[in-house]
Amino acid sequence: MDVAQALQELTELSAQVERAVVLDAEGSVVGSTVADERATERLATVARDLTTAAGELHAGGDEVTRVEVELRDGAVFVLREGGRTIAAVTSPEPTAGLVAYDLRTCLHAIEDTPKPRRRRAGQEPKEEADE
Amino acid sequence: MRRLLRLVLLAALTVWAWRFLAARRATHERVGVSYADGSSLVLEPGSTGFERLAAVARGALSP
Repeated sequence: MDVAQALQELTELSAQVERAVVLDAEGSVVGSTVADERATERLATVARDLTTAAGELHAGGDEVTRVEVELRDGAVFVLREGGRTIAAVTSPEPTAGLVAYDLRTCLHAIEDTPKPRRRRAGQEPKEEADE
Repeated sequence: MRRLLRLVLLAALTVWAWRFLAARRATHERVGVSYADGSSLVLEPGSTGFERLAAVARGALSP
């Protein structure tokens, strides 16, 4: 499943998730539920800043795997797993465990881009060889 | 004496009702962070860490 499909499934399954973005290991946006580019970049920036700020709170300097900020106006969740990060905004007073489960499921659903197959030297691609 | 007892009971009931309603109305704000080593922390309003992370998160919540 690609990122767009996984995010679509997330918004269909979770009524609490209002918008979400997926970032790669370098922190670049690879998918979003929001059409507006500025809103997407704003959520991505918040996700990056939250993980940085949360990392500074830990003396050991270990990698942050999850940040959840629950406020009166809504909540922001950031989950990191397998080199990817997903950030989501939810309605106020969300069911934190359920949202985290849905976000983790979304991250797991995203398949890695298939690596190009190695071809032996001198070996022609099949289509061309058949002609 | 009876009147006084009634008054005290009424005052106690009023205080209880007020505290009950105030507690229901108060929204629960918190920050939770988990780390790769399995440790986690919860920050409540008033702590420095909470205010910092909440300020960052508000950037995503504002329309």
